[in-house]
Amino acid sequence: MDASNVIKNKPHKTQQQKTERRLSVWLMLPSMILLLIFFLTPMILTVVFSLTNLSLTGEAASSLHFIGFQNYLQMFKDPALATSIWNTIVFVLFSAVIGQCFFGFLIAFMMRGKNKTFRRIIGLIIIAAWVTPEVVVGFCWVAFLGDNGTLNMLAHNLLGMKPVAWLYTFPMVSIIIANVWRGTAFSMMVFQTALDDIPQEVEEAAVMDGATRWQLVTRITIPMVKGTIATNIMLVTLQTLGVFSLIYTMTGGGPENATSTLPVFMYKQAFVSYQLGYGTAISLVLLLIGALASLLYMKILKVKI
Amino acid sequence: MKLSKWALALGIFTSVALLAGCGSGSSNSSDGVTTVKVAWRATGKGDSMYRIYSKKWIADFEKKNPKIKISLQPINASEGDYFSKLDLAMKSADTTPDIVNEDTFILPADAKAGYLEPLDSYVAKWSDWDKFTAALKKGSQGSDGKQYGIPGTTDARGIWTDLVVTKKAGLAADWAPKSWADILTAAKKIKQTQPNVIPFAMGVSTTNGESVSMQTFEQLLYGTGETLYNEKTKKWNVNSKGILATLNFINQIYNKDKTGPSLSVVMSSNYGSTIFQDRIPKNQVGMAMDGIWNTGNWSKDGAAPIANMTKVLAFNLMPTEKGQKPGYVTMAGGWSWALPKNSKNKKAAWTVMKAMNTKQLAVTRALQEGTLTVRDDAAKDPEYLKKPFIKEATQALQNAHFRPKNDLYPKVSIAIQQMVESVAAGRKSPSDAAAKYATDVKGIVGDSNTDTQK
Amino acid sequence: MMRENKTVRFVQYVVLAVIALLFLLPLLWMLFSSIDTHAIQAIQLPKQPTLANFMAILTDSNIMRSFGIGLLVSGFQAIFVVLISVLAAYPLSRYPLPWKKPFLLSILFLTSLPMTAVIVPVYQMFLYLKFQNSLIATTVFMISTSLPYGIWMMKNFMDSVPHELEEAAWIDGSTVWEGVRKVVLPLMLPGIFTIGIFTFTGSWGNFFVPFILITSPEKLPASVTIFQFFGNNGLVNYGQLAAFSVLYTLPVVILYTFAQRYMSQGFSFGGAVK
Repeated sequence: MDASNVIKNKPHKTQQQKTERRLSVWLMLPSMILLLIFFLTPMILTVVFSLTNLSLTGEAASSLHFIGFQNYLQMFKDPALATSIWNTIVFVLFSAVIGQCFFGFLIAFMMRGKNKTFRRIIGLIIIAAWVTPEVVVGFCWVAFLGDNGTLNMLAHNLLGMKPVAWLYTFPMVSIIIANVWRGTAFSMMVFQTALDDIPQEVEEAAVMDGATRWQLVTRITIPMVKGTIATNIMLVTLQTLGVFSLIYTMTGGGPENATSTLPVFMYKQAFVSYQLGYGTAISLVLLLIGALASLLYMKILKVKI
Repeated sequence: MKLSKWALALGIFTSVALLAGCGSGSSNSSDGVTTVKVAWRATGKGDSMYRIYSKKWIADFEKKNPKIKISLQPINASEGDYFSKLDLAMKSADTTPDIVNEDTFILPADAKAGYLEPLDSYVAKWSDWDKFTAALKKGSQGSDGKQYGIPGTTDARGIWTDLVVTKKAGLAADWAPKSWADILTAAKKIKQTQPNVIPFAMGVSTTNGESVSMQTFEQLLYGTGETLYNEKTKKWNVNSKGILATLNFINQIYNKDKTGPSLSVVMSSNYGSTIFQDRIPKNQVGMAMDGIWNTGNWSKDGAAPIANMTKVLAFNLMPTEKGQKPGYVTMAGGWSWALPKNSKNKKAAWTVMKAMNTKQLAVTRALQEGTLTVRDDAAKDPEYLKKPFIKEATQALQNAHFRPKNDLYPKVSIAIQQMVESVAAGRKSPSDAAAKYATDVKGIVGDSNTDTQK
Repeated sequence: MMRENKTVRFVQYVVLAVIALLFLLPLLWMLFSSIDTHAIQAIQLPKQPTLANFMAILTDSNIMRSFGIGLLVSGFQAIFVVLISVLAAYPLSRYPLPWKKPFLLSILFLTSLPMTAVIVPVYQMFLYLKFQNSLIATTVFMISTSLPYGIWMMKNFMDSVPHELEEAAWIDGSTVWEGVRKVVLPLMLPGIFTIGIFTFTGSWGNFFVPFILITSPEKLPASVTIFQFFGNNGLVNYGQLAAFSVLYTLPVVILYTFAQRYMSQGFSFGGAVK
């Protein structure tokens, strides 16, 4: 008799557990192997390198050695660290948690039951923003927000406004909007998928019982996709923590560190100043923030695992 | 148990793919032929290197040297990523190219890292070596005084001046600044007469990287008679009068007179292309500090052609602060060819290297790239002398300064860029910025390695 | 379909159209520049619209090869991530396993390490294993780095397929595998496509990993060759860059259009849920 029959017949509990575990191990073997070799090992090496003077060039590159916690000391003495952490939190909070999730849900929700062609066109435009290469997205936004850019042209023609140096006057707002623009597609797709799973009958029954539209959304629809919303917020947060090229092309982290998030700060130290070990130490702060945020979400949003 | 069988199959497949498929044998030197890999930072199909080291040139070389094959290995990347990739590749004999193109500012650092082969014993036996410009040879040495690179190309910087703009501002047709004050006065005149024109442009944002250190800060500083680094005492210059004067000039342009580009132009990573591909061709910039290579940009096949370039524009030399001798100054950089220490094919690579740097190819390269040649004999070539603005550029080179031959320079350069940006953006006063720079440099090179030049 | 009153529907159409327009505006620069051989950083209407930029890209065999390589790498990556994630997500979703929570959490945390920090250790590992310059090894590495998200999302989507449906299938005599294939997977198709598209897109736009791990220029995918439009001294060939980008967005756009058949279908699968 093979194992599936054993499950089917629902025999003794512990034996079923045993079978389940054995099956689990087999099923998870491919991912375990891959994660172990290509994911965990480099990650651990990264942590080890943060304790070294690893450098791409210069004298340090010829003699790799452990320097203890010197990189961390240097990091905590650097005022740019606090700025970068703060910028990262602001950037993630507004562009991912608030912007992308909100617009993603709004679009996915309103797309339901709309004309097929219309839905396809809207979806394509939003997806296009997502799949355009990051450096080009940077260019698009620099052009859009530039002195003679589209936004100033519209503001001038419609509102009679004088041109504003958007990117320089509102650097953080600019990169947040650009990232909302770029990332919304992902949340939209996730929510589309989740909303598809809501059985029609449930909503219909609520309408029959006289629920208003608002009640329908807040009491039926949102609770039913609550799990997805929570998971999505978590995934989007972790993705946004790592956003680099977009910011780097648009502002380079400037003016004067105003948009320097941790990945930008890390890149500058590791690849512009060639202090890889130091950069690695910075990236571990990012890891820490990611972990803290996830734990926080699990507490507040009750992300099920 | 079908599901787990399937999982097992996939698991085995992945493992096999991992173990068998991944390994890529480095295949070389079968039948005694050595492949020499040449790496440089490339810009696609139209890259000038393909025209200089053309298929025909390679075929001719391989016919003459049947034991050597040349493989061009262009690297597509931003400038910063190019150096990272090269440094990583040179760490191992399995991945290193055999000839690499190095920017002269990073060459001393890579030499110190032990990536590069000293070439002194090679050039000693090379008759052409005497033909290379002496000052440029020095620019390709490490901090230990050894020769690590063969100069491939160099450049000079000056002030691109739009004659249409200066004429409208009431300046003489042959106007050329004799001091910094002349520049400021002219910029104000341009501002008064033509409000839509950028009177004077120079890069000041950290996003523009090394060029800010070199062609803005250092070109100004060396005009005060000071230097960034004293090669004899091995000390870095901080807290000096010249540094303050330089920052004051930047402050004057960007904040007091407001004769620079708007901050949204100058703080953007696209500063260069905005000024040189967009605004100058439209006659919207009075003066711009930049290199001679822009002629390539403005030529007929360039990205932003300017008809009659030599009539519309002038390449003025950067004057010294008060016009003190020698009257003008320029910073010269450029790219050099180097041999990675880890290469297994150094002998063959050197043969290729010599062939890559003949007089004829030096001329071709300067013509193709709009840069300046590194050989004295090529500089006399009639074809070369026909290049636009070549007279001015060659004159500029006579007073050329080079960046410090010190492996810490790339890090100091970052501190310079931050200092310049904070002044231009009006976030720090010149004296505060200079003080911050002094602290930064001491942190990089150590307290005892700085002093104040008089 | 749900009965919605006409005004509400109309307002929703208008709001969606406005959002789409706002999303389109920043892309205008790319669209305009792609048909303008003298494109610059600022937005401008092309004086002489031309397809020359596209022709330059389409006739460049190196670029076309890099597109092909990118498609292969990203395609394989997406397929394998989906397959491996389905396998791993099933027990994580269905069985009470003791080490489930720490496992899921730790793989997720680690993804917040930026690739720029991890790539140097990876490079050295590749050197050690003699994997450098191997497209297969690079793809396998990229599969591994996308697995955490893949497994997480897959488990989340699988959780929303009611266990009772599967049990019903077992009672009808299906094996576990048949239950998954006939009941779970069809209900999860939208989720599978979401993960597939997500993985494909992430891989398709991944510059740093192939750039560092692959040394031969002829093996590089499109995400790297895009940098050939960036010249020295900050000069950029904007027209061709934009044309390249337009072509570059096509694969995912096509993939999404195809996937739309299985997404937002309203309630075509809903009938099975009781």
